[in-house]
Amino acid sequence: MTEGRLRSAIALFAVAGLGIASYLTYARYSGAQLLCATGGCETVQHSRYAVVAGIPVAVLGLVAYLAFLGTTAFRGQTAAAAGVCVAVAAVLFSTYLLLVQLLLVHALCQWCVAGDVVVTILAALTAARFLVSSGVEPPLAIPRAGPARSRNGRAPRGSAGGASA
Amino acid sequence: MEPTPSRHSVVDMATNPSIRAPRRRPNGSADPVGRSRRPLTAIQTLLAGTVVAVVVAGILIGVSVAGSGSGSASKPLAGAEFSSLLLSGIPQHGTVLGQSGAPVRLVEYGDLQCPICRAFAVDTLPTIIRDYVRTGSVQIEFRGLAFIGGDSEKALRAVDAAAAQNRAWNLLDLLYVNQGRENSGWVSDSLIRSAAAHVDGLDVPKLFAAGSSAATDARIRTAAALARRDMGGRLQTPTFEVGRAGQPLQPLQITSLDVNQFTPALDRLLGR
Repeated sequence: MTEGRLRSAIALFAVAGLGIASYLTYARYSGAQLLCATGGCETVQHSRYAVVAGIPVAVLGLVAYLAFLGTTAFRGQTAAAAGVCVAVAAVLFSTYLLLVQLLLVHALCQWCVAGDVVVTILAALTAARFLVSSGVEPPLAIPRAGPARSRNGRAPRGSAGGASA
Repeated sequence: MEPTPSRHSVVDMATNPSIRAPRRRPNGSADPVGRSRRPLTAIQTLLAGTVVAVVVAGILIGVSVAGSGSGSASKPLAGAEFSSLLLSGIPQHGTVLGQSGAPVRLVEYGDLQCPICRAFAVDTLPTIIRDYVRTGSVQIEFRGLAFIGGDSEKALRAVDAAAAQNRAWNLLDLLYVNQGRENSGWVSDSLIRSAAAHVDGLDVPKLFAAGSSAATDARIRTAAALARRDMGGRLQTPTFEVGRAGQPLQPLQITSLDVNQFTPALDRLLGR
């Protein structure tokens, strides 16, 4: 898969995440009741863990998804590396929040779980993008027709342009 | 001394363009495998960024943990932990506790200064919540009355304000558990603030602001009017009504607060 396609996929999932975070932010500030099949959304959203330093976690989610989206506006390794860094922070914090739901609040918010799934997919996509932009084929990449290349992106030994002894 | 065959002199390098000096690292040492610098720089950037990301996530988690533990609920309040566990994860909407699709509804008319209402809240309600509300079979609605005295109205206003944040049952339970002597001024701002601080997600300033709002006045009047209609002008608490969701409610006659006074009617309506 090319970097361009990966950027498009990241942008797509970042927009999906933005949708979830926007809905939770709207519900937070408007007082609207969340659509919830699990029955725990209100409990989670009104728990003391739903706010960090006065900032609702939903707003932090908005910022994270915007950051993911921002990294897709640029091509190259630096933007790809920035995407991986955002993913690392997002995965760590999402995991913490999931554990809080399960172990401390004893309620599960379907919107938060959906956000966790999106973050996990984004983490995989940003990692793949970084590998591709670094010239390394990601593990699940489909071989493409063209000049033979080694896994590290350099031409194999003996081919034209190879390092001479 | 003859140079080794694999090495080239500086002159050779200058005269023969096919001979290149080995790449050098920033510290001046030769790169033995001839790797380009670009991937190394990218990995360094990634590592540095990852460290920053881990630190950012760690700070967020630390602030979250610290904030959850050092809230204004630092002073222990009787029943707070049990109440939190009892109601945790059960949906609330206004003064209604339980899932919206529950087939049976139980209504309680209560005064927060009424000692029998307290006994119901402390001794009977937890079993009903555990066996009927948490399982999605029954919704309970609290209709608050304030006919015992000034503390009744003050407590009811706080509960009604918590209802606007869908946390009425948490505050209701804590006020019942910490109930004081009738009209002794036990419903102080301090008690309300302390109880509210033990309710996850309850905005305390908003609670106090809403307690004296016109909307709260209107809801309290409505509950009183419904009580007069249902009890024929003779108010007494606690009074219970029960019925299938969406159908007229019937008075539930009880002779004690034993849970067995409630479960047969609930089971019958549930078809058990």
